[in-house]
Amino acid sequence: MATVETNAAPIPEAKSFAPERPKMGVVFWTSVSWILLVIAAAVLADLLPLRDPDALGIRTGEIQRFESPGVNAWFGGDGQGRDLFAQIVHGARPAMVLSAAVTLIGGSLGVLIGVVAGYVRGRTDAVIMGIAEIMFAFPAIVLLFAVGAIWGITMAILIPVMAVLAVPSYARIVRGVTIAVAERDFVDAARAMGASQSRVVIKELLPLVALPAIAFGFLGFGLVIATEGALAFLGLGLEQRTWGSLIAGGQGLIREAPHLALIPATAMFLTIMAFNYVGDGVRELIDPRPIVVGRKRRADGPRPTTASASDALLSIRDLRTSFPTPGGVVTAVDGVSLDVRTGRTLGVVGESGSGKTMLLRSITGAFPVVGVQREGRVVVDGTDLLSASPASRSAMLGNEIGVISQNPLSALNPVRTVGSQLVEVMRVHRAISKAAARARAIELLEQVGIPRPGRRVDMYPHQLSGGMQQRVTIAIALANEPRLLLADEPTTALDVTIQDQILRLLASLGDEYNMAVVLVTHDLSVVRGWADDVAVMYGGQIVESGPTSAVFGDPQHRYTQALLESTPRLDLPIHSRLAAIEGQPPSLVAPPAGCRFADRCAGADERCRSEVPVLERLGSVEFRCWHPGQGEAR
Amino acid sequence: MAGTGSAHLRTGDDIVLRVRDLVVEFPAGKGQVVHAVSGVSVDVAQGETLGVVGESGCGKTTLGRAVMRLQDARSGSVEFRDHELTGLEGSELARKRRDMQMIFQDPVSSLNPRRRVRDLVREGLEIWGSQPGPFTDARVEEIMEAVGLGGEGVGERRPHEFSGGQCQRICIARALVMDPEVLILDEPVSALDVSVQAQILNLLEDLKADFGLTMVFVSHDLAVVRNVSDRVMVMYLGKVCEVADTQPLFDTPAHPYTRALLASIPGHELGLSDASTLISGELPSPIEPPSGCRFRTRCPLATNRCAVEEPELREVAVGQFVACHYA
Amino acid sequence: MKLLGRLIVRLVAVAIAVSLATFSLLSAAPGDPAAAKAGFAATPERVEEIRSELGLNDPFHVRYADWVTGVVQGDFGTSVLNEQPASKLIGDAMPHTVELMILAQVIALAVSIPAGIYSAQRPNGWFDRLTGAMSFGMLATPAFVLGIYLAFIFAVRLEWLPAVATDLPGPFDDPVENLRQLILPALTLAAGMIAIYVRLLRTDLIETLQQDFVLMAQSRGYSRRRVLWRHAFRPSAFSLLTAAGLATAGLLGGALIAETLFAVPGMGRLAVTAIFTEDYDVVMGVVLLLSLAFVIANFIVDALYAVLDPRVRHGNR
Repeated sequence: MATVETNAAPIPEAKSFAPERPKMGVVFWTSVSWILLVIAAAVLADLLPLRDPDALGIRTGEIQRFESPGVNAWFGGDGQGRDLFAQIVHGARPAMVLSAAVTLIGGSLGVLIGVVAGYVRGRTDAVIMGIAEIMFAFPAIVLLFAVGAIWGITMAILIPVMAVLAVPSYARIVRGVTIAVAERDFVDAARAMGASQSRVVIKELLPLVALPAIAFGFLGFGLVIATEGALAFLGLGLEQRTWGSLIAGGQGLIREAPHLALIPATAMFLTIMAFNYVGDGVRELIDPRPIVVGRKRRADGPRPTTASASDALLSIRDLRTSFPTPGGVVTAVDGVSLDVRTGRTLGVVGESGSGKTMLLRSITGAFPVVGVQREGRVVVDGTDLLSASPASRSAMLGNEIGVISQNPLSALNPVRTVGSQLVEVMRVHRAISKAAARARAIELLEQVGIPRPGRRVDMYPHQLSGGMQQRVTIAIALANEPRLLLADEPTTALDVTIQDQILRLLASLGDEYNMAVVLVTHDLSVVRGWADDVAVMYGGQIVESGPTSAVFGDPQHRYTQALLESTPRLDLPIHSRLAAIEGQPPSLVAPPAGCRFADRCAGADERCRSEVPVLERLGSVEFRCWHPGQGEAR
Repeated sequence: MAGTGSAHLRTGDDIVLRVRDLVVEFPAGKGQVVHAVSGVSVDVAQGETLGVVGESGCGKTTLGRAVMRLQDARSGSVEFRDHELTGLEGSELARKRRDMQMIFQDPVSSLNPRRRVRDLVREGLEIWGSQPGPFTDARVEEIMEAVGLGGEGVGERRPHEFSGGQCQRICIARALVMDPEVLILDEPVSALDVSVQAQILNLLEDLKADFGLTMVFVSHDLAVVRNVSDRVMVMYLGKVCEVADTQPLFDTPAHPYTRALLASIPGHELGLSDASTLISGELPSPIEPPSGCRFRTRCPLATNRCAVEEPELREVAVGQFVACHYA
Repeated sequence: MKLLGRLIVRLVAVAIAVSLATFSLLSAAPGDPAAAKAGFAATPERVEEIRSELGLNDPFHVRYADWVTGVVQGDFGTSVLNEQPASKLIGDAMPHTVELMILAQVIALAVSIPAGIYSAQRPNGWFDRLTGAMSFGMLATPAFVLGIYLAFIFAVRLEWLPAVATDLPGPFDDPVENLRQLILPALTLAAGMIAIYVRLLRTDLIETLQQDFVLMAQSRGYSRRRVLWRHAFRPSAFSLLTAAGLATAGLLGGALIAETLFAVPGMGRLAVTAIFTEDYDVVMGVVLLLSLAFVIANFIVDALYAVLDPRVRHGNR
């Protein structure tokens, strides 16, 4: 085979993409040690230099009746002067054997059943889960109790019964995981390659299901210990000495000799706790979902300033937005300044990670992560939102500033009607009666092109199509006739014919209400078609901005040129080769020293890598590039 | 459209894949069915790239999955090199299917996160019984090189260490290692950024030439489809609207829906009137699709005839087939 | 109502499955209820007489059918011990258990909802860590161990509360004394649930607080309180609700322990006594009613779901 000329991207260092493996803390390792200790006690009890747990201390005089814990007998003695410490060590074995057997047998059965139910689905699944549901309905401890009372409690009876009782829990958890995993494309991909069903289950599904099952197994292990204890407590202990039987025996003597119940109870508690903790740790291994630590703090910016110099409605100056992540502090927006005048639409365009969405969020201050810090100024109609008081900020948001987000379904509260969400935004911000607000809501729905608004007003978001949902979020944004509209990828989730409807609507409403509009998108054609001005973002900065026709007609920045040339176009010959941009976007934790695009730029030199380009102006276009305007105009 | 018919099917030895009257339906509960694909016919010639475009719910993805037999068809036939695939089961199906491979939309979700890249790429060979050894190792190495994943230690890493574009390269390598004749690509670049999208599209064009591949390229993005396809099929609500070579389809779109789709592209300069005059309203339910022509509820040209009589595909210009009474 | 139809089908299915299982289990038991009833001194003839009187010689299906016929008419059989109808024993015990379970559920929700909400607002803050650690501890404490701790601290050491609830007055006769006696068993029952509820609510709420519609509510200038209660809380409460339904099964098991430990004259203790005395009619009745209670509790959860979540109401989820 001929070697193929490819435009291979350099493979990044492994660590840059690898998620942080969570570090197991002291408690985790203490728990592991405790479990090992208990296991050692269970295995080695006979070999350890302990007193005979059955030796009656009051006869030998070694231990007094109800002797308190002390140097002589660490955990004290019981009514016959038997050594409690020795009893506890010896009592570890039955619980460990029982739990291990139940967890292994019940767990593996449950995993098998769960994987099959989750993968095959359909009738098999329904039957299995139906049986499981009935088993859940049956109070397990009552059944165990009945079985125990009738046949007596022995290992031979307890192990199979408890294993069977454990199966549904494992099956249910594993089924859930399997369904989630099987929905992913790699199962289809394997089948498309010709993999058999059993291969899919064994090679693709089982390895992914194993860890959650093991994590649950640790919890289940603790549960078996507790259940055995409960049975012993109810008078149905194993014939062996167990912690449960020790607790049960001591419980009646809680006034005379509290240590007899409390010490074995504590041993059991610590053991279960250790198993739970290890299980939890294993679960975190699979699902590292770090919650970013930190607390919302407002940067000590300058005091509220009055109107900015320009006549812009929105004026952003030196905005810097950063937040902590496990990999370091990400500066998502790094020194952005821009103006939007009334009646104009600014398109903010960039690829993922360029900071365009964070820029928009920095205006409203609603972030999906905690610990976000903003610096600079965001002045809307004379008020700096960053330094304004919370009350005056709230009065601006939703009132003077309307927001539309990317996914209309998730942007609407799923459990409240369209009407109530519209009425809410009006009544929070202005004195208006419920009835008047509702009438206005219907009017608004009509205005955004929703047919039969009188009926739709009482519907829930999920009852509407995606296009209709986006019209509703637009209606909410417009309810208080804002002067500034912020739209974050408002049509990305929509089909192209619906996208046209929505963009057309936004354009006509923008004219009608005479708003300033910020339209964030990754789609160059949306900007080309619908924005007056454009700001191109890369690595958290605006690299080029100006009137859309000027920027797209004669791009100055090398990135803008490359972006335009990598986009398939309708006016080029078919099968034309696209100019791909090699490499990856820059890190926002430790950005490159000079121009952020330098590493991927064909025309970059030493200066680009070391010196930050200064802002230059060519006609109405501003850009930051050391070697501008050398691409062909498009 | 929303029409049926097979006037556009070609004859000749170079037809690799031929789909005839394919019908795919899903149960939707309460005895209802979703009419996902309703009588679609299409063929693909050796070395050709067929673009399949349409909006969500048009059946383009289902069509690809049904051809791969990831989805069972209710009726109709899929022929690969004149061998009927429908009805084949088990190993016989698997053997035939080996010559067709599929690439999915979400490259990250297409890769089992617990496995190493080398094993992922080798998997297909393993399924087909190749023992691990110098031969398969060399083959895997060669393919990884070809998709731009060559280099020390790349094969030892796991998918999460790669970006979306690189994951899509891995997926392409997995398919290529099987030495397929046909590659079915379901929205292969939709999840990627523009610059990465260009990398993958260029790679696909290179591979097509070097490996002599035939492709079915399913996408909602008209500009992308235009750039990679030799022939394009436009679908709407489970039916074919228009099939034509790429150039005439984009230069002189004949079906009202094709025109509406093209006019909806923001900032286009195709000389079409506003999309708002070419299409109205929203997609009807695929559970109860309109009678006759399925596009009639949104079509400015629709008349009573469209409700009663389903248009069949007919040739309106050389190589351009349209299912519309008024095109 | 379709929902009601589904409930009845489920109730009947569970009733048949559970009663058949219990019935066959008890039939296979080696003990002889006839002998137990006859007493130690009875002659074999007398035992045989009682056996046929009780219908113990009939084949399995006849005895099961007899029992079902009786249950449908409200007759759960007769306790072999004191000749009282089983239905009366169960009827006397049931209110105490129901009260105990409701009390435990109320305590659990009253503690966990504020705690969960407060933790979720400041993830990894001191309160969140504290509740996290405490839930973890409570989750690892078996009910009987916790009961012993509670009894030791509050009854033995501090002597604030009674250690047993043997002469439990009705909740309406002497509410204060009734509460005094039930508070320890109810706490014993509630602890495990609190742990589960807090963790669930916290996780869900943290997730909801990051969702688009909450961010949108914030960016409309709504107050913190409004965002939390009017937007975030309801969608976050669904798993809590499910957990509360499923916890009923745990409550039933826990009632056995708590009632035994604190000598509450409820169904759990009745079951324990009945099993030890081979009083099988009572056992059957208790097990059946407990299982049905579980089904009904989960039905109520399903119904609440439909009220709270329109997506369920419209069958979209």
